[in-house]
Amino acid sequence: MVTLDLHGYGWMLWRGLGLTILVGLGAMALAVTFGLLGAWGKLSRYRAARGLAGTYTTVIRGVPELILILLVYYGVPTLIQDLAARAGHDLRVDLNPFVAGIATIGLIYGAFATEVFRGAFQAVPRDQVEAARAFGMGRALMLRRILLPQMWRFALPGLGNVWMVLIKATALISVIQLEELMRSADIAARATRLPFTFFFAASLFYLGITIVSMVIQGRIESWSYRGAQRG
Amino acid sequence: MDLAIVWESLPRLLEGAVLTLEITFVSLLAGLCLAVPVAIARLSHRRILWMPAYGYMLYFRGTPLLVQLFLVYYGSGQFQPLLDQAGVWFLFREAYFCAVLTLTLNTAAYTAEILRGAIIAVPRGEIEAARSVGMSGLLLYRRIILPKAFRLALPAYTNEAVFLLQATSLVSIITLLDLTGVARIIVARSFEPYKLYIAAGLIYLVITYTFVLVSRRLELRLSGHRREQPVGGVGSASGR
Amino acid sequence: MTPDAGPREAALRVTNLHKAFGSLDVLRGVSLAAHEHDVIAVMGASGSGKSTLLRCINLLDIPDAGEVHVGGELIHMGFDRRGQRTPADPRQVDRIRTRLGMVFQRFNLWSHMTVLQNIVEAPIRVLGVPRRRAMEQADHLLRKVGLYDKRDDFPAYLSGGQEQRAAIARALAMEPEVLLLDEPTSALDPELVGEVLKVIDDLAAEGRTMLIVTHEIGFARAVSSRTIFLHQGMVSEQGPSRQVLDEPRSERFRQFLSGGDWGRSALTTPSQSGENESP
Ligand SMILES: Nc1ncnc2c1ncn2[C@@H]1O[C@H](COP(=O)(O)OP(=O)(O)OP(=O)(O)O)[C@@H](O)[C@H]1O
Ligand SMILES: [Mg+2]
Repeated sequence: MVTLDLHGYGWMLWRGLGLTILVGLGAMALAVTFGLLGAWGKLSRYRAARGLAGTYTTVIRGVPELILILLVYYGVPTLIQDLAARAGHDLRVDLNPFVAGIATIGLIYGAFATEVFRGAFQAVPRDQVEAARAFGMGRALMLRRILLPQMWRFALPGLGNVWMVLIKATALISVIQLEELMRSADIAARATRLPFTFFFAASLFYLGITIVSMVIQGRIESWSYRGAQRG
Repeated sequence: MDLAIVWESLPRLLEGAVLTLEITFVSLLAGLCLAVPVAIARLSHRRILWMPAYGYMLYFRGTPLLVQLFLVYYGSGQFQPLLDQAGVWFLFREAYFCAVLTLTLNTAAYTAEILRGAIIAVPRGEIEAARSVGMSGLLLYRRIILPKAFRLALPAYTNEAVFLLQATSLVSIITLLDLTGVARIIVARSFEPYKLYIAAGLIYLVITYTFVLVSRRLELRLSGHRREQPVGGVGSASGR
Repeated sequence: MTPDAGPREAALRVTNLHKAFGSLDVLRGVSLAAHEHDVIAVMGASGSGKSTLLRCINLLDIPDAGEVHVGGELIHMGFDRRGQRTPADPRQVDRIRTRLGMVFQRFNLWSHMTVLQNIVEAPIRVLGVPRRRAMEQADHLLRKVGLYDKRDDFPAYLSGGQEQRAAIARALAMEPEVLLLDEPTSALDPELVGEVLKVIDDLAAEGRTMLIVTHEIGFARAVSSRTIFLHQGMVSEQGPSRQVLDEPRSERFRQFLSGGDWGRSALTTPSQSGENESP
């Protein structure tokens, strides 16, 4: 075994890892929310909702994450300031990088979650819906009691993938100075002049997250397939 | 709204876009060349072949592209004497080289995974038919398995290409003046972030969907021989 | 049909072939010889190992024991590092395979190639036949199987019967010494069976050496010189087709032949329904 000598900066990486996971979880929660909304929009009867959801996923898939992060972190405050200035107010807006990071990553991966949820909703057999109708359930009730509970197990594998890509994408918010894992490694690398050591160590942390996630995903999948097959 | 700054910057943004496209295509091409042997090795039954391929794919798919980029660009500095001795240090000093190298290694890992899936999906019967007329080894791969696998992989590979195109924006972080890099520089001077980032974003959008359109056409042309559906691709999140 | 067997080597000789999948003994000592111009019909219930027999002959499956001679040449077997039986010389296997034409139940045409490309592929790439010659020969074969006008179509656009005729042409293009056909008509709609049987009938008339797995009793009687009946992994009955088919000796074979229905429905019982179920 090769051991990495982290010159006392190990704690910093661990702290960064904690923040990375925190940002990841926050962004994932947001992505699931956006994803459900987006899927609802895409499957909606209303053209406006479909158009909005379609634009959302189209734009997000066509624009790099980095641009979106920069746009949210630097662009949105300036935009608000400009608008305020036009209205005669002098305003200074600063976004918290933690919040901006979660918001942007959540927004981006919400688009991917949208496709996952859409597929999952469509995977629920039609006759389930028809059965619910036959029992006189309304749209909302059917959605809550029949569709949502059944949809999850079709969505889980896809959401697992979204999570694994999302957690890697959090590295990007180091560019807005949030001291997550990547930024911590960067700081340590500069201080010690050992860039390879620290970036490699950081990469192993990410790899660790990926592997743990893969294992958990495997477990969840085999669990959620109970009763899903057959028939 | 005053869009003068955007019109003024447009030529430079487009220049950046050219670099973006160049880096994308060079990495895609090199990545594909690397992915083929990696995918084949990954499917081998011999441990000395599949284990390294597996490790490589796991590492490059399991860690962020940004870390990989920094490992190559900054990390190589830690081995300067060694790289100097090998006579390749001058390469690693170049951000362009580091960017293309990293993107190539990265996309090759993803592409290898796509190809692996596609190779597995090649109908057994067609492979057996090839064996039954005496094909084996490389000939079998070259004439039957790979051509078939490439076609099966095309939709997923188109996705991968789009992801790579977007991923190239990271090279701006190591000082390259691609589309994102140009936008960032102009923003730093003009303090007009949203206009420029939106402009850059729109250019990315146009490039992306032009590319998607063209490759869908190509897919249709190449799939003239087939009625069944290709594998994978749909909504599968690749990305870094 | 076999009196001239004496001095000349059999085109194909199988001796005491054994093959098991896990604990399932499929072949338990099968021997047969096909001499030049022989047409041998192989019959047996579903799961009796007919396909396995053909696949063991050209080593798509590796037999556990036994010998295969093609035109007098023994396929040498050895063991790999894990003690698995394996061909001693993969090159020899490739070479032998070029001398054995295989026609599959499900055709297995290469779907990314046109009919013509399917036919010239192996002659050019494996045998090294000059392109021009391969094309000429392919045209000739395509006319023979009645597919000349379909030469530039992809397999997905052919009917099953056309696909199978293309597959036969592909096998013939290698100018094989022995043609192995595995239920060449069982994947076809009834109205398409005739066109394929007709082609095979012509081949028999040409004096091709063939080993045909088939459930078509009438066809076997008309075309094959000899019939063998596989039962419980062994050749339980064999002889000149007319004789064996008209006066089966064993009860099993009689049942098999008389229960025309039984023989047919066997196509879709155990071994094959298993394939369809898998998710
Ligand atoms: N690769 C394999 N792995 C495990 N079992 C197999 C395999 N191939 C064949 N078998 C089994 O071996 C037995 C013989 O199969 P085979 O395909 O040779 O039968 P068959 O006589 O050709 O039947 P059919 O008329 O249905 O084509 C069957 O029980 C089958 O399930
Ligand atoms: Mg069979």
